[in-house]
Amino acid sequence: MAEKRKSMIKIKPKKYKVGDIVKVDFIVIHPMDTGMKKDKKTGKIKPAHYIDSITFSFDGKPFTKMTVWESVSTNPYFSVNYKVTGKGKITVDYTDNMGEKNSKSKKVKPKG
Amino acid sequence: MKRREFIQGMFAVSAVAMVTTPDRVLAEDKAKKKGANDMSFEDALKAITGGKEVKESKKIKFTAPEIAENGAVVPIKVEVDHPMEEKNYVKAIHILNTANGNARCADVMLTPANGRGYFSTRIKLSKTQDVVAVVALSDGTFIKASSNVKVTIGGCG
Repeated sequence: MAEKRKSMIKIKPKKYKVGDIVKVDFIVIHPMDTGMKKDKKTGKIKPAHYIDSITFSFDGKPFTKMTVWESVSTNPYFSVNYKVTGKGKITVDYTDNMGEKNSKSKKVKPKG
Repeated sequence: MKRREFIQGMFAVSAVAMVTTPDRVLAEDKAKKKGANDMSFEDALKAITGGKEVKESKKIKFTAPEIAENGAVVPIKVEVDHPMEEKNYVKAIHILNTANGNARCADVMLTPANGRGYFSTRIKLSKTQDVVAVVALSDGTFIKASSNVKVTIGGCG
């Protein structure tokens, strides 16, 4: 069952022009279980559940690919740079080790 | 039972105990390692570089807190002072830890479209250890920078 996760893409600074290098922040609400912690209610060890691959793309062209392991914190945050080339859409696709696939996108609107 | 036999027996028991104790300790150590994709730092580094030399470099600006009160959330930042052109760019940034079960934290594959070699995230650390950033450049060389992080409360258990 693929559940819909809460995620967010932020582009910093808010105002940018073509040719500027901006920061693209991606935050997703995810447990990132290591497979070592016990569930406080049941006392059983929680199985590992973490995001393992993330792809940042602009208009379908991937520009950053990440492989991630369980050593990344709960509700992970990833930040990379991107050089603005024009109007378009930044999409972040992410999958976790249980096969859950999600994606989030944000429009890029350079001014001036 | 005679006194001599008793003493000999004592020695035998203690000898057996001495022989078996290390095994038990080893077994406990193994029990601690239960992550599915555990990998030591050396193995992880070898997998990334293929045995090539990794030089310390001042080109990398690696920011990590000196003391992390909560090991579950340690913010880190890597900035590489290297051009991002078509044929000369930062290919990848690898974040490695030295004491967690799994030494790999994140592998980030960059392209010239990124404009700058930059990556930031938050990682978990089980105890006080070094965090290493290994950067692969497009000409096939590797550079690294590391930082020691003191962890007050571990974040992996």
